[in-house]
Amino acid sequence: MKRRITLAAALALALAGPVHAADVYKIGAAVGLTGYAATTDRGWRDGLQLAADYLNGKGGIDGHKVELVVEDNKSDPQQAVVAYQKMMSNDHVQIFASGCVSAGNFAAAGAVARAKIPMVLCSILPRRENEIHWAFSFLPPPIYELQTRMAYLKDNTQIRKVGILNDPSPYAMLMAKLAETAAKQYGIQVVAHETYQQDDSDMSVQVGRINAAGAGAIIKIGIGGSTVTIAKNVKQLGLKDMLLLSGLDDAAPYVQAGEVLGDHFMFAATAVQIPSAVTDAEAKAALDAFLTRWKAKYGDRDGSAASRAWDAMMVIDKAVTLAKSTDGPKVRDALEEITHYQGAAALYEFSPKQHNGVVKNPFVMGEVKDGALVQVK
Amino acid sequence: MIDAVQLVQNLVNGIGLGLIYGLVGIGFCVIYNASGIVNFAQGVFVMLGGMICATLLARFGLPIWLAAILTVPIVALIGVVMEVAVVRPMWTRGASIFAIILATLASQMLLEQVTLLTLGDQPRTFNSFTPGGPLMVGGVAVPYQLFWVLGCGALMVGGLWLFFTRTRMGRALRACSQNAEAASLLGIPVRRMMMLSFALSAALGAIAGILITPSQITAYNIGTPFGVNGFIAAIIGGFGSAGGAVAGGLLLGVLQALAIAFLGASFKNVAALSVLLVVLLVFPQGVFAGLKTLRASRR
Repeated sequence: MKRRITLAAALALALAGPVHAADVYKIGAAVGLTGYAATTDRGWRDGLQLAADYLNGKGGIDGHKVELVVEDNKSDPQQAVVAYQKMMSNDHVQIFASGCVSAGNFAAAGAVARAKIPMVLCSILPRRENEIHWAFSFLPPPIYELQTRMAYLKDNTQIRKVGILNDPSPYAMLMAKLAETAAKQYGIQVVAHETYQQDDSDMSVQVGRINAAGAGAIIKIGIGGSTVTIAKNVKQLGLKDMLLLSGLDDAAPYVQAGEVLGDHFMFAATAVQIPSAVTDAEAKAALDAFLTRWKAKYGDRDGSAASRAWDAMMVIDKAVTLAKSTDGPKVRDALEEITHYQGAAALYEFSPKQHNGVVKNPFVMGEVKDGALVQVK
Repeated sequence: MIDAVQLVQNLVNGIGLGLIYGLVGIGFCVIYNASGIVNFAQGVFVMLGGMICATLLARFGLPIWLAAILTVPIVALIGVVMEVAVVRPMWTRGASIFAIILATLASQMLLEQVTLLTLGDQPRTFNSFTPGGPLMVGGVAVPYQLFWVLGCGALMVGGLWLFFTRTRMGRALRACSQNAEAASLLGIPVRRMMMLSFALSAALGAIAGILITPSQITAYNIGTPFGVNGFIAAIIGGFGSAGGAVAGGLLLGVLQALAIAFLGASFKNVAALSVLLVVLLVFPQGVFAGLKTLRASRR
């Protein structure tokens, strides 16, 4: 009798194991929950979870329950490699939906590509061809955001000389180069280029040098609380005419910087930050679908990064459904077939040659009025 | 090439930051003087000072002076808890100084995570103590907050000097540092002294945090750079005297500002660590003690 029970239990376990594994679709996320990217990547992580809960409520992705595996890369490339390796070898994730630490995603992209695991990213795409083959970006191309800022200067001010102030992350370095291109497009001269470290507590020296070079505006590139510090430094140096133009950051530092500099602080805003700026009906419906759920759970917290994560999960859902499989290469191929997907943050168009999904500039210029983010008129 | 006004402006910027490094450095010295322990959680007290003060201001709408007065004892209490819960048990069980130092580092990480979970990840700030400014002196901008940092820094250095040289408690603290066993035999309550040193050190860190936050931001993760720079300031100053730590901080702050101006931001830490290396090589006991020895040997 005992033997029969043991055999039956062993049989049940043998059957239950594979069924359980096949039922779950594991999505890995290497995110900077601590360090300079924490604010953005926590938003990305929460957006992923919100979407996972929503999809699981609908029965999962193509019948598979979504399981998120989140690892903190501490906003550090070396830690990111460890996090990716752990998720590949221990957790056996089937796709990555990783955060905005571009250096970390770059560092791990080679290994991820060799493992034939698709990766959708909050960051820019890695640089090598074989890595780009497996990566899909949900971040608007950096040039859009810069063009929005330069267009504002050209159309609304007499300022024709600017200074760039960026952190040394790959994303910010890329944007700093693109800022020079965008400036030229709008007849604006870059007269100073300064950098700062993400943990710097004072940027007065850099701000002073930009001012001394004759710049009328600072194009600030980089995420984290540095925007507020720079705003304070501008004020402390008594630069009453200097404009500070930021972008791709969270609403909280924007509000704080706005309180310091008033109408001398502006930023390239996302649709989530200023929903009233969205007029297209399809875009508004997609934005509302996300915002309703986001606000119910997180209140007034900025959902910019979360909206991109939400979109990434919905696109993964579409791709798996299209592929009728969770197999990495098949999902990757299907991702290339996702065209005209209107998400909460932007409109996405992927193709074999287009792995940057956002092809239309979704930004508007924003400012802070009475503690709220509003579109610059 | 930068002109004279820019150069002076950079010096002013460096002095502002250097004073804060110095205040953090004093915190290192106070605990070291009492116990021989280097408290690597010193930077976290700076963070807690800014975060708790900002929270009191935002959530309860307190005036800045009241928020600051409440913040300092709260952070001092956290320092006491750290001493009682982490340092004292290890000290009592005869753990090596290295193990205790490592435990202070672990405490920093723990306190950062607790802050993250309780107060969130958003950066915070509050207004300068004196609105308006800056004061323009021949084209050089001097923020009003710098005067607060200067004034409070001078008060703290003076107060600590008086405390360590003119009071029984201060002398007892110094005696514990020189020989804890002998101090104990003389009736000095060594354990209580160590607790006092953590409270004092945490309070100093909190004051530094309250003073610097109006000039920038505070967040759960800003403690490490302040801790590292404060540690360097303390070493330059000889790891013992409050005045030495402030002078070390000033030297470091000015060097960092000049490194950014002449070499670029990426060289800021290179400059700081190069100075530290030179100090350790030439004056292992700190610049001021080293110069004193040098002068004495020439006589």
